[in-house]
Amino acid sequence: MRKLGYRIAAVAVVTATAATVTAVRLVAPSEATTTTVGRMVAGAEVKAAPDSTSPADLAVDFEALLGQHSVLASNMMRSRFRGDDDFVQAANASLGRNTDDMTGLVGKLFGDATAAKFRPLWSEHVVMLFAYAGALADHDDTAKAKALAELTEYETRLAQFFSGASQGRLPMATALPLVVTHIEHLTGQADAYAAGDYTKADELFRMGFQHTYDLGLGLAKALLPPSDTAVLDEPVWRLRSQLGKLLAEHAVLIEDTTRAAVTRTPDFTASGQSMNANTSDIAAAVDTLFNAAAAKQFQQLWGTHVEALVAYAAATAAKDTAKQQMARDTLTKFQKDLAKFLSAATNGRATPAALEAALGEHDRMLMQHADLYAAKNYQSAHDIAYETYDHMFHLARTLADAFGSTVAAKLPKGGAATGFGGLAGHV
Amino acid sequence: MRRLLALFLLVLLSSCHGSSPPVAPAPASSAPADDFRSSTTYEKTALPVRLRIPALHVDSPIIDLGLQDDGAVEVPESVHEAGWFDGGPRPGQDGPAVILGHVDSKAGPGIFAGLHKVKAGTLVEVVRADKSVAKFTITKVSRVEKTRFPTDLVYAPSLDPTLRLVTCGGTFDHAAGSYRDNVIAYADVV
Repeated sequence: MRKLGYRIAAVAVVTATAATVTAVRLVAPSEATTTTVGRMVAGAEVKAAPDSTSPADLAVDFEALLGQHSVLASNMMRSRFRGDDDFVQAANASLGRNTDDMTGLVGKLFGDATAAKFRPLWSEHVVMLFAYAGALADHDDTAKAKALAELTEYETRLAQFFSGASQGRLPMATALPLVVTHIEHLTGQADAYAAGDYTKADELFRMGFQHTYDLGLGLAKALLPPSDTAVLDEPVWRLRSQLGKLLAEHAVLIEDTTRAAVTRTPDFTASGQSMNANTSDIAAAVDTLFNAAAAKQFQQLWGTHVEALVAYAAATAAKDTAKQQMARDTLTKFQKDLAKFLSAATNGRATPAALEAALGEHDRMLMQHADLYAAKNYQSAHDIAYETYDHMFHLARTLADAFGSTVAAKLPKGGAATGFGGLAGHV
Repeated sequence: MRRLLALFLLVLLSSCHGSSPPVAPAPASSAPADDFRSSTTYEKTALPVRLRIPALHVDSPIIDLGLQDDGAVEVPESVHEAGWFDGGPRPGQDGPAVILGHVDSKAGPGIFAGLHKVKAGTLVEVVRADKSVAKFTITKVSRVEKTRFPTDLVYAPSLDPTLRLVTCGGTFDHAAGSYRDNVIAYADVV
């Protein structure tokens, strides 16, 4: 289980189980003076969601953390090129925090001994990726070749680690290409970003996120006993995993896009394109779950949200408080409109008030992220980005369950009457 | 070990920060974010119009199927036509698209007479209204009692672009006038 996280409980949004609980924020290790902080959302006192520790729950959490690792590693490498003041925080705090969370989860999933081996091994490639990025930034071909050689050697060791822990379920021949692809996505996006090819860099950024996210589930399925992971192939778990990936990706892409808007860097256009691709993917999921008309309506609403957040970031950069307020007002309306839409789509399984509160929290965190970034308070900006990812991932879980229940109620009942007996005894 | 690594990273970061020239993209003269527009042109996958399974000599138009009053899925009137359950995803779109066909009539074979013996790897093509073709390969075939029909595995939404082909099989209940089992072929998009 993650040490810091927003747990949006199913009981919060889904009427069928409860109506009062919406979110909980556990306290980061660095926030040593407090224990657990409750929040007031939509007038209801916030309580901790039940701690889900089934292997399937942990496996889905593991894939989210691995996907987040890919994003944080990419950001760390890009920061190195940009020479941002924030790269120390990006590299050392966010990535370290992600590694801490992953190690904790590895311990719960696969045991303390595996976790003890995992942490130093995993941390090693973060250092190597930083060295690679530094070599690129310095145009030092010798250092780049050295970093690549180290990464290549490392890929084999990491694949051996996973393969060895799987008790034969993950052959080395399968594990190695998966690890190699992860490293290639990260170095590839770095190469493209350093060359100013932001479109290619962002394409690889998305591919890297999606590959690593899926890798997390694949590893969990390989390393855990089959009896613990069989449920992960069931539609309800697939939907939780897939919707979590789409919405978590939304969080990282909107952060990336608003960062570029705040800093007015030329990578903004490519970030915006990636953002739009993700929006289309989420709309496609709505089509699958409901219908094309709902997808179209959703995309319009979601687009309003994305545009308002970008506008807020741009206004923040321009110190234009009037435009900031316009963006806030747009987001407030969006939260009401989307909450109403989703509640109707789920036949009331998701309550408008709880949805509005959850969407409001999402937007609040993203605006705070833009504010902090513009104020060059990078440590806090990275902290809120980390929490935003977690919040969105868990909101996705709640939505997946509400969507799944809604669709399940409309599915055909029983088998199909598709025969009249002419071939009886032969089929 | 963790602290050593963190320290090592910090040393690296500090030294690099002070010595290497930034290769950062320079801020743009105008704010590109001012022109940003979110995508609003969602394009839905076209409707399925024809089913082809060369290995089974199937080449049939596809009709739309909904639900009957009792909640069961509709089936094609003709035993020589396939039908797509229009309450679910379209073939090639994310999610499980379901196509149903009869195994037989009272007198002879129907469009899915050979489905129970189809092999894994068999190609299935679905032509759509925009002339695009979604291609799938069969991954497995199962036969289940209709009373234990796996509704979730066949119809329940995930975002995997898959196809399910459904027909009848097993023993025939002459009193009820129907087969006791359904044959389900599962296919993944190519």
